[in-house]
Amino acid sequence: MRLLLIPSLLLAVLLAPAPLVTAEPPAATRPAGQDSDPGLPFIYTRWEQYTVEDGLPNDHIFAVKADGPWIWIGTEGGLARLDKRTGEIRSWTEEDGLPWRVVSAIDVNPLTAEVWLGLFGGGLVRFSGGRFDHFHQLNSGLVNDVVYGVCIENDNVWAATTAGASRYDTITGEWTIFTEKNAPMEEIWNYGCSFDDGKMYLGVWGSGVLEFDVATETWKDYLDPDGEMEIDLYRDDGIVHVITTGVSAVDGTFWATTYFGASRYDGRHWRGYFKKDSGAPSDFHNAIKARSANEAWFSTDKGLGVVADFPTDTWVVYTTDHRSHTGRAVVSRGGQVVETISMSPNLPHNYVLWTELDGDDVWVGTSKGLAHGIGKGYFPGLRRKPVKAQSVESSEIRGGE
Amino acid sequence: MREQRRCRVCLAWVALLAATMTPSGALTEEPPGASEEKPLDTETVLEAIDVDPYEVPDLPLKKSSTYASSPADVSPYGHVTPFQEHFLEQMEYTGPGRAIPEPEHVDTVKIGFLGPIEPTVSVATGGKSHEEPLGIAMLRGARLAIQEANAAGGYRRRQIPFELVVHNDNGLWGASGNEIVDLAYKEKVWAILGTIDGANSHIAIRVALKAEIPMMNTGDTDPTFIETNIPWVARCIGDDRQQNYLLLDYLYRKQGLERVAIMRASNRYGRFGVRELLDGSRRLGRPVVMEMAYRVGAADFSLQIDRIAAAEPQAIVHWGDAVDGARILNQMRARGLDQPFFCSDRCVSDEFVQLAGEHAWQVLSTFPGNPDRQDSELEAFRERFAERHGVEPGTYAAHAYDGMNLLLWAIQNAGLNRAKIRDLLAYRSEPWPGVTGEIPLNAVMDDAGEVFFARWDGSRWRYSSRQDLGIPGGRIEPRDRQAEAESGPSPAGGGP
Repeated sequence: MRLLLIPSLLLAVLLAPAPLVTAEPPAATRPAGQDSDPGLPFIYTRWEQYTVEDGLPNDHIFAVKADGPWIWIGTEGGLARLDKRTGEIRSWTEEDGLPWRVVSAIDVNPLTAEVWLGLFGGGLVRFSGGRFDHFHQLNSGLVNDVVYGVCIENDNVWAATTAGASRYDTITGEWTIFTEKNAPMEEIWNYGCSFDDGKMYLGVWGSGVLEFDVATETWKDYLDPDGEMEIDLYRDDGIVHVITTGVSAVDGTFWATTYFGASRYDGRHWRGYFKKDSGAPSDFHNAIKARSANEAWFSTDKGLGVVADFPTDTWVVYTTDHRSHTGRAVVSRGGQVVETISMSPNLPHNYVLWTELDGDDVWVGTSKGLAHGIGKGYFPGLRRKPVKAQSVESSEIRGGE
Repeated sequence: MREQRRCRVCLAWVALLAATMTPSGALTEEPPGASEEKPLDTETVLEAIDVDPYEVPDLPLKKSSTYASSPADVSPYGHVTPFQEHFLEQMEYTGPGRAIPEPEHVDTVKIGFLGPIEPTVSVATGGKSHEEPLGIAMLRGARLAIQEANAAGGYRRRQIPFELVVHNDNGLWGASGNEIVDLAYKEKVWAILGTIDGANSHIAIRVALKAEIPMMNTGDTDPTFIETNIPWVARCIGDDRQQNYLLLDYLYRKQGLERVAIMRASNRYGRFGVRELLDGSRRLGRPVVMEMAYRVGAADFSLQIDRIAAAEPQAIVHWGDAVDGARILNQMRARGLDQPFFCSDRCVSDEFVQLAGEHAWQVLSTFPGNPDRQDSELEAFRERFAERHGVEPGTYAAHAYDGMNLLLWAIQNAGLNRAKIRDLLAYRSEPWPGVTGEIPLNAVMDDAGEVFFARWDGSRWRYSSRQDLGIPGGRIEPRDRQAEAESGPSPAGGGP
């Protein structure tokens, strides 16, 4: 584990929540005329990085799941579990009974503590009591062994696979398969899932987002209204594209990602996001994780993007420049940069595949390791920037590190 | 060193602008700045992609001024400027894969093949499988390219043979995804060629993206195959969109027809194959008067033919397999329908001619190549193929031969690194000189070359270009997006 701290007190001061009083830091640049800004979001400035050198079985990380004191990590070369209390990493590969080494999705049943793994070409696995129970196309109702997403819904486990979705009732043992036969899937290529408030949301490649009401077992689909692959006619008229790569629902709002941009829907209004008119680092989104209706984290091929405050369209983008060994957080509003903050390296690689929220902390799976953003002092939304510098203790800014 | 490289790269540019590659007949304008751009050479690309895990090659990205050379009057929502347009800029791969070192020793250099070569029953392809003849032809073409590369010394002339790892694409329950996982992770191939069915191809490329392995498609003409923004996928065959555009131009701009009907297979190939024809007809003010779908492999098409007859079309377009096409044609003629009959490229086959008999006369099919082209390389390929397999190479064999040779070229130059193999294909600026003709890969690594008509003259298929038939094209309007961006929000802009 490598703990990376910001060397600059002044930089940290900038990031401190009100009513701290701070100086204008040399490490940050702020355009003139921004004094009327509504404030800044919390910026993650303390990051840890984990790679194979720290015990990960592989640096290519497809999935991360927070589970109390543990962080489960699905990699291209096995499963890992990080103990947050000790920093120790334990891993499992095929030699340890893991049916297939490429772990592409993870969820944990909070009632049973069972860990459910989606394997990329290896089916679905229940990991409990040190034993791997393997469900696949030939011994269960799993519709396909290429599993992109796993979600717990009450006593059910959902698997988003490349040829439909499967639901497994862990009490009765009953499987239900959802394809174009019994769900409004124009295509059956499921990519991700998210459960919130009695509804299961499926992100389906070629079929937008599907919403399944658990109580009534009814479906609703969300498609790109213009129906065209090569354009998005209007930004805010619906999902920006049907090639959906992820969905994350919380507080009655879902956020959806594609390889063409992203969308947010609160049940009444749509908002589309493209790189050209927002703070998004890229239109190529690998995954999405929402913290609230106002905050969502985008795993992209060019860094980690965050809608930190939806009402003000405030974004933060985290990237690392490995040549200069520096990290950066760029805050923008309405597509205009309002702050650029330098820090120690944040992401082990800017190709981000997964983001997991863990209380105030954030865990980021990249193609070259795992990042841990420490959120001590986190606050939602924005806080006004202090206007004058005096002095401040670093321990206050970093939440008493 | 890096600065020098950057300077050189800055001077280069990829000149694959769609407007300049548009088959003549369509009206185009040179986009701003295009004349200043120079193609990248392989050496420049190789130098630029030699980066550490955290760097992205400092190379200019290909840009297209108009996606797929779509004429303005058949483009979607042509009266307004969309808020966002896709597929106009080359996709990037920004991951660390280029820094993975080449293995110190390999016994063979494995290349995967995924295609329908064994009969199955498949939900995805509409029942009993029907694509084995195409898949087998594809395999033969790919194999010939491998054999010739090995005869020439193999991998980098080190006598390390290329090895084709062949997997059947049976289409059952998304099996193509499992096959790509096997090829990428277990067989450890360096690139994959395949497949044909549109649904299976989509499943395969999603897996290829996650596994980060280049995939060359030589037989799936589904336009949406490439409309997925996956930076690991290329295609070297003209798609149904281009074939639809040629049909639109012929039916409406040249023949002046008003009433066209469609008979198509009730599967993904049929559904997506006619999409641009349907949309384009409507946009040109001549909506298709009837579209009927049929079950693949059906024997009786009377219901569909009755409906089409009632619509009184001036021409009928069929999109489906050869056997179905021939049966439909025969039953239509028996029913007294004598309208001109147009087909998709799958009907350009001996099977179609044998079944259709005299009815095949003057049938006009679109075709993603021109086998009548006078080309010594094509002639030599035909002879070698016939000698090896005892039959003439069809279009699926020829495109697979070209696609495999493109992959071999990329591997020979890039070495054994999947990301670099992908880069060689993505940044290639010159058209590939294939036996099917020149293959220019556009910003989304799709074959932006010309498509043709094939006509059965009673003794053989004869191929004609747009120019040969004097088919006018619609106006393709490359737009100055920079000026548009500076002039303010687009008419169909974002929300408040």
